Amino acid sequence: MIEFSDVRKAYPDGTVALQSLSLTAREGEITVLVGPSGCGKTTTLRMVNRMVDPSSGTIRLDGVDVSTQDPPTLRRGIGYVIQNAGLFPHRTVLDNVATVPVLLGRSRAEARSAAGELLERVGLDPRVGSRYPAQLSGGQQQRVGVARALAGDAPVLLMDEPFSAVDPVVRADLQDELLRLQSELGRTILFVTHDIDEAIRLGDMVAVLRVGGTLAQFAPPADLLAAPVDDFVAGFVGRDRGYRRLQFVGAGSLALSSFPTTGDGWLLVVDDDGRPTGWRQGDDHVALGTVHEEGESLRSALDAALSSPSGRGVAVDEDGKVIGGIEPEAVITLLHASAEPAR
Amino acid sequence: MLSSLIAWFGAPAQWSAAAGIPTRLLQHLGYTALSVLVGAVIAVPVGLYIGHTGRGRLLVVGLANGLRALPELGVLVLFVLLLGLGLTPVVLALMLLAIPPLLAGTYAGISGVDPAAVDAARGMGMTERQILFGVELPNALPLMVAGLRTATLQVVATATIAAFVSLGGLGRYIVDGQAQRDFTQMAGGAILVALLAIVLEVALQGVQRAVTPGTRARPASDPATPAVGKPDTVTAGG
Amino acid sequence: MRLFGADILPLAAEHIVLALVPVLLGLVISLPLGWWAWRSRGARRILLPLTGVLYTIPSLALFVVMPIVLGTRILDPVNVVVALTVYAVALLVRSVVDGLDEVPSEVLTAGVAMGYRPLGLLVGVQLPLAVPVLIAGVRVAAVSSFSLVAVGAIIGQGALGALFTQGFERFYTAQIVFGLVSILVLALVVDALLMLLGRLLAPWAAARAPKKQGV
Repeated sequence: MIEFSDVRKAYPDGTVALQSLSLTAREGEITVLVGPSGCGKTTTLRMVNRMVDPSSGTIRLDGVDVSTQDPPTLRRGIGYVIQNAGLFPHRTVLDNVATVPVLLGRSRAEARSAAGELLERVGLDPRVGSRYPAQLSGGQQQRVGVARALAGDAPVLLMDEPFSAVDPVVRADLQDELLRLQSELGRTILFVTHDIDEAIRLGDMVAVLRVGGTLAQFAPPADLLAAPVDDFVAGFVGRDRGYRRLQFVGAGSLALSSFPTTGDGWLLVVDDDGRPTGWRQGDDHVALGTVHEEGESLRSALDAALSSPSGRGVAVDEDGKVIGGIEPEAVITLLHASAEPAR
Repeated sequence: MLSSLIAWFGAPAQWSAAAGIPTRLLQHLGYTALSVLVGAVIAVPVGLYIGHTGRGRLLVVGLANGLRALPELGVLVLFVLLLGLGLTPVVLALMLLAIPPLLAGTYAGISGVDPAAVDAARGMGMTERQILFGVELPNALPLMVAGLRTATLQVVATATIAAFVSLGGLGRYIVDGQAQRDFTQMAGGAILVALLAIVLEVALQGVQRAVTPGTRARPASDPATPAVGKPDTVTAGG
Repeated sequence: MRLFGADILPLAAEHIVLALVPVLLGLVISLPLGWWAWRSRGARRILLPLTGVLYTIPSLALFVVMPIVLGTRILDPVNVVVALTVYAVALLVRSVVDGLDEVPSEVLTAGVAMGYRPLGLLVGVQLPLAVPVLIAGVRVAAVSSFSLVAVGAIIGQGALGALFTQGFERFYTAQIVFGLVSILVLALVVDALLMLLGRLLAPWAAARAPKKQGV
C-alpha cells in the first residue's frame, strides 16, 4: 500500500509540480495516475522511490515513511519500469534482468537462472537471454524492462509511461500481458500515463491530475466515464465516453427477448446443438453479426444488436448455444438503470 | 630566467630590425595563410562533392586517420630534400596537414544537414546545384569553420618547424637558440608561437560562433548539446 | 640492428615509450577530470576551454618551455613525456565527457531507480558504456603522440625523429623515408591493437550496429 498525505512539491524557481496530494494506492491493485503533461504525475511516481523528495507531506510504503529510508536500499525493494525500458546496452538481456538480485547480494548464477524463468513469464523466448538489448525489438525490450522490475520480488512496482514509445498494436499486447501478469502476481502497481484509454484499460483506480498538480478525480474507471466531476475531467476523458462506459457495465441483468418464428421475416438458423449459424430472410441467407456471450459486458451486447442484420442481437451461453435475442432498447434501458453509480 | 626573458622581449632591436619579432610574425602568418588557402582550394570542393553525393566517404575517414599518423617533421624534410630549399616544399608539406581537417569538416557539415530539409528542397523543385549552395552549404558552415580552425592551428604549430629547413617565421628563435645554446631566445620564440596560436584559436572560435545559427540561445557548454567543434577529434594538433 | 649509422631497435623502443607513456598518464589524469567536468557545469565551463587552449600550443614550443616550468634540463626526456601528457589530457578530458554524455538518460534513471549508489553506477554502468568513445579518443591521442615525439628531434629528444634531422643534414632521402615508414607502421599497429582492445572491452557495441532498433 502506498499512501500520499498532503504531498507538495515546489522547485526553487517557484514552479509548483504538485499542489497538495492525498491519495492511497491499495495493496494488490493497479492505480493509474493520468493527466496532461505538467500535471506532476511523474513527479508523484518518483517520490515513492525518492528519485524526487517532496517539499512537504509524507509518503508511506506499507506504513513506513520513505523519507526515513536510505534511497538505494529503498529502491532495490521497488520495481521500476520506464519508457524505452532503459536497459543497460552493455549487458546481455539475462544480466539486465539479474541486476537487482545481484545488487541485493545474490549469486550471479542464481540470479541468472531466476532471470531466465522471468523472461518466460513475460512472454519471451528464454533464448533471447544471451542477446544484447540493441538486438531486440522495442516491444521485446519493454518486456525485458518489466521482467527486470519483477526480478527483485518487489511487492511494489512503479511504471512511468512504460508503453508509450511502442506502436499501438504492440502496446495493446503489452497491456494484456501486464493484466495477465498482475492476475498471477497481485503486486501493488502505481502506473503513470498520459493516455486516458490506457488508464481506463489497466486501472483498478484512476487518479486524474490537472496541470499544476491538483487531483481532479480519483475513482474506478467506470465511475470516471459515468460521472466525471467537472468539465476538465469530462474533457480529458474525451469523446465516446458514454459508449466506452458500456464495457464496465455487466450485462447480467439484461432482459433477453425470444426469437419470433414469424413477423419481420428474419429467421435465426441454428445447428443441431443449438449454435447460431446465420440469418435467413425469405430465401436469402445472411451472415451472423457479432455474438454476445453470457458474462461479457454491455458493450458486446450492444455491438451484437447493432451488427446483426435483423437488428436483433444474438446472445449465447458459454457453450455457444443460443439463449435469447438482444433488443437495442433493452441495452439502453439497462444502461439508464445503472447510470446512478452504486458506490 | 624571467628577467632575461623580459629583457629579450624589451630589447628595441627585437621590434624594429629586419629579423625582429614583427617580421617573423608576419612570415609565420604568411606561411600559414598560404598553406591553408591552398589546402582549402583542394579540400573544400572535394568535401562538397563527397558530402553531397555520399560517394568516397571511406576515403575521407581513411585519409584523416592515415595522415594523422604521418610525422610532420619527416614530411617536411623529405619535401625539402626532394624539391630543394625554399617556400614551395614547406607550403606543400603544411598544405598536406591542412587538407584532412578541412575535408572532414566540409564533408561532415554537408552530410550532417537534415535529410528532410534536402528532401523538401528537392521536392520544391530546386536543382542539385541550388540545393548544395542554397541549403547544404549554409547549414554546413559551422562545421566547415571548425575544420578551418583545426587546420589553421595544426599549420601554425607545424610552421614553427619550417625554421629547421632554413625558412623564417617564429620557429627561427627556437632553432637558432638551440644552435647558439641561447635558451632565453628559445623560450621567447616558444612563448610567441603559443600566443599566436591561442589568438588565432580565439578569433576562429569567434568566427565559428558567428556562422552558427542560434548559438546565443544555447550556451556551448550546455551538457545536452555536445559543444560545436567536434571535428577537433578528427585530427590532432602538432 | 644498425641502419643509417644508428641503432634502430633501441630508438624504436624509445619512441614507443615516449609516445605511449604520456597517453597512459593522460588517461589516468583525464578520467577524474572528465568525470568532474561531466558532473559539474562550472567545472565543464572551465576545464573544456582550458584543455582547448593547452591543445592549441604548438608541440615544439611546449617542449622548449617545459624546462622552465619543470626545472629540468633541456635535454631531459621528461620534457617530452610531460609535454605529450599535456596533449593527451587536453584530448582525453573531452573524450571522457563525451563518453559519459553518451550514456542515455533513461539508462541512468533506470540505474538509480534500481538502487545503484553513485560509485557503483559509475564503475558498473557509465564507464563501460563510455568505452567506445573513450577508446576512439585514446586512439587519436596515441597516433598523434607517435608523430609528435619525432618533433622532439629538433631539440635533440626525438627517438626515431633523429632519422629526420640526421637525414636532412646528410641529404639522405632513404633515411628520411625509412623514418617516415617506421613511425607510420608503429602508429598504425598501436592503433589496430587499441581498436581490438575496444572490441574486447565493449562487445555489445558491435551488436548495436548491424540491426537498427525497431519495434
